[in-house]
Amino acid sequence: MPELRKARIATASLAGCFGCHMAILDIDERLIGLMGLVEFDRSPVNDIKKFTKRCDIGIIEGGCCNEENVHVLQDFRRNCDVLIALGQCAIMGGLPAMRNAVMHSENPLLECLEEAYISGRFIRNTTHQIPNDPALPLVLDKVYPLSEVVKIDYNIPGCAPTGDVIYSTLASLLAGKFRGFERELIKFD
Amino acid sequence: MSAISDTGTRRDTTFTFTIDGVEIRAQPGQTIMEAADDAGIYIPRLCDHEGLRHQGSCRVCTVKVGGRSVSACTQPANPGTNVESETPYLTKLRRDLVEMLFHEGNHLCPMCEASGNCELQAMAYRLDMTNPTKFPYLEPNRDLDASHPDIALDTNRCISCGRCIRASMDVDGKGLFGYVGRGIKRRVAVNGMDLAHTDAAVTDHAISAEVCPVGCIIRKREGFRIPIGEREFDKGLIGHEIEEKANA
Amino acid sequence: MAEPRLIEIAPVTRVEGHGKVTVHMNADNQVEEARLHIVEFRGFERFIRGRLLWEVPVIVQRLCGICPVSHHLAAAKAMDMVMGVDVLPPTAEKMRRLMHYGQVMQSHVLHFFHLAAPDLLFGFDAPAAKRNVFEILKENPELGRRAVMMRKYGQEIIAATAGKKVHGTGAIPGGINRNLPIAKRDEFLKDIDTMTEWVQDAVKLAKDYTIEHIDLVNSFANFPSNYMSIVREDGALDLYNGNFRMKGADGNILLDQIPNKDYFNYVIEDVRSWSYMKFPYYKEMTPETGWYRVGPLARLNNVDFIDTPLANAALNELRAVTDGKPNTSSLGNHWARMIEVLHCVEMIKQLLEDPDLQGTDLVAKGDRRQVGIGVIEAPRGNLIHHYEVDEHDQVTYCNLIVSTTHNNEGMNRAVKDVAIKYLDGQAQITEGMLNHIEVAIRAYDPCLSCATHALGQMPLEVEIQDAEGKVIDSRRTGAA
Repeated sequence: MPELRKARIATASLAGCFGCHMAILDIDERLIGLMGLVEFDRSPVNDIKKFTKRCDIGIIEGGCCNEENVHVLQDFRRNCDVLIALGQCAIMGGLPAMRNAVMHSENPLLECLEEAYISGRFIRNTTHQIPNDPALPLVLDKVYPLSEVVKIDYNIPGCAPTGDVIYSTLASLLAGKFRGFERELIKFD
Repeated sequence: MSAISDTGTRRDTTFTFTIDGVEIRAQPGQTIMEAADDAGIYIPRLCDHEGLRHQGSCRVCTVKVGGRSVSACTQPANPGTNVESETPYLTKLRRDLVEMLFHEGNHLCPMCEASGNCELQAMAYRLDMTNPTKFPYLEPNRDLDASHPDIALDTNRCISCGRCIRASMDVDGKGLFGYVGRGIKRRVAVNGMDLAHTDAAVTDHAISAEVCPVGCIIRKREGFRIPIGEREFDKGLIGHEIEEKANA
Repeated sequence: MAEPRLIEIAPVTRVEGHGKVTVHMNADNQVEEARLHIVEFRGFERFIRGRLLWEVPVIVQRLCGICPVSHHLAAAKAMDMVMGVDVLPPTAEKMRRLMHYGQVMQSHVLHFFHLAAPDLLFGFDAPAAKRNVFEILKENPELGRRAVMMRKYGQEIIAATAGKKVHGTGAIPGGINRNLPIAKRDEFLKDIDTMTEWVQDAVKLAKDYTIEHIDLVNSFANFPSNYMSIVREDGALDLYNGNFRMKGADGNILLDQIPNKDYFNYVIEDVRSWSYMKFPYYKEMTPETGWYRVGPLARLNNVDFIDTPLANAALNELRAVTDGKPNTSSLGNHWARMIEVLHCVEMIKQLLEDPDLQGTDLVAKGDRRQVGIGVIEAPRGNLIHHYEVDEHDQVTYCNLIVSTTHNNEGMNRAVKDVAIKYLDGQAQITEGMLNHIEVAIRAYDPCLSCATHALGQMPLEVEIQDAEGKVIDSRRTGAA
């Protein structure tokens, strides 16, 4: 009888604040039990920086605010059977989307950049330019939720979702028994 | 309600109809929603509010009677009819409406002071609005009118329910708000250059916490005073107060 | 004659946020330049304008998911100033302090055990697959479990004071929105002594590591700098309130007891073309001489004493290593971090025993002002929030200088120091060598999302460029 392999999970934080990853760690001591069932591939909490194998579940927090985010997201879609958008930033853009949504401006990105690097009151800028080194990835015109870039299979809403919601969703997905959320646990904040 | 006939005997004028197979007693002149509320059956709604005239515009209270879709808040109850409310088709319809409302404006729940007291948000929770979306985010350019010393209007969040219009006109007698524009551009506007140029007061019924269902009409400097756990919908899903009547 | 090479480390893992390192190596395999690029940008300082003042503490904490409470409290303090509240009701101040000590505890524990410990316990050269918290849980289950439970304790304190573990709403302008019910207080009191014991063990772990590896600590990214933090009026450590102090590397005091609201007369941020993160420095000096470090070690270098006994004793042990002079190492931050956790649990116990936490006077009022400046010692270092608010209650100006930004120059020098020591003259660059550079960065517990007021991740890339700046080789140990 072949031994069941452990489920492989990969995670990433794109334009996220890491709060959703902290929420994953809020499963606390259940993490110890979870490790018997899953192994982590690429993730910011370990030193695996590229996919080593195809993963069963990919969990992503944060939307897309620069080209690097888009590349990582597409890499996750290619390498994961199931892709989960974790948290409001991944689902609808979140706080970074204030750049699109609530600034009344012809060019909100340029205004943000100028405020930070050119016209700010207490800065010194001998280059008189916005940072433009080739090492810096290009910033996108808007902040995009993940579902506008790749197909997403599940959302876990919240800002941040609780460790309990994340744990029960993961557990039921791994058992093949995910039937949606208990309505009392759904939160958008 | 009973009528005293010429011979002095009381006559019961109530009648019955069914909602999802459950028999409900209604009074003459009641709408489907009013009868359902009395019986402890919750039909989701957004533009309808107690004490205001019925508008029937949000369509979240859509029910099916005799094969036709109608708004329960305006449709009179009729004896012997069978109303469908909690069917998969209608639940999906309601969820799509709420989802489109979220996409039409700029609803950033994590930073909104109405979160936890917001009927739109609570409706989304009740309707299980969690699946990845197919709709685009319109990201319209909407104003935040903070001109009035005590009231702010963050129209990013306005869902055009018109409750503030009816409350201001009919209850306060002021007419602060009104609809302008046509089609998808129809919006609620202030009857003046901005709110500071009206006779709006924070004591108006239209400005009270119960009238605006979302975080558009804001009473200044009150935000976040209610801690998490004590907000209205921390205590139960929207509609739980009506449903608890059935058990009472 | 070797070929010029470009090595990339991308992403930098076991840190929060995104960064990229480029190492310029010349044809003789010598490191000419090494830089830490922060590649993420958000623009918070601009898009917060027009929002209403009581929303700001709730919005701004979304800059960071590890230390949201730091931003929440700094913004609340700034808005206290705007609302004219200079003295909070005792219940409010103590609830906020409890929130802060809880969050410093969980953030420091997270960093030490989940992020940094794999390097310290398994070695900087250990195989990549081994360097993570899951392996710690496997190899030393008791230590791993304690780490999880200590972090949980801090998170539960945050939930009880702010309403949620991540991104709550407790602090409001002029006060707080809840108090601590007695049942909750008793729950926390039940475990505080166990926590104190476990934290003392963690301090010992960090201390033993430092003493046993003293040669490494003295040579790895160890260089003099100025140190900046707030201190209490009597010179004691106070993570919540205080005035600015800056010390030089030899212990001389450059600035002392500068009020929070005057920060911009002393600190200015330098913009460089190759990073979205700016470089603060002391205005009276140059960017090359006026830069400074912040964070646990900087704080402990700056203070005269700690007013809780166990932590003060531990501080004296730390100072003994450098004969009382400022500790100039980078790795010393780990020991300093654990001493601060000890201070936090001592303060948490004191506060839990204070009946003011059950008080009902939660919010104060005052006369409106136009400017609000709130300064706090976040886990990673000094944090400055500066706002201007108009008569309509809308924000018209925002300036944030966050902890990791203060440390920008320090981290860059650490990266260069380690790159030279471990990569110079090497024909083959191994993954273990690259991890050494990451270890240097991790010692500063960077919060790169906060620093760029941006969200997102940027793989850490180490590029090797030739003498003309052409990228020769690039190894991205990660990224897409």
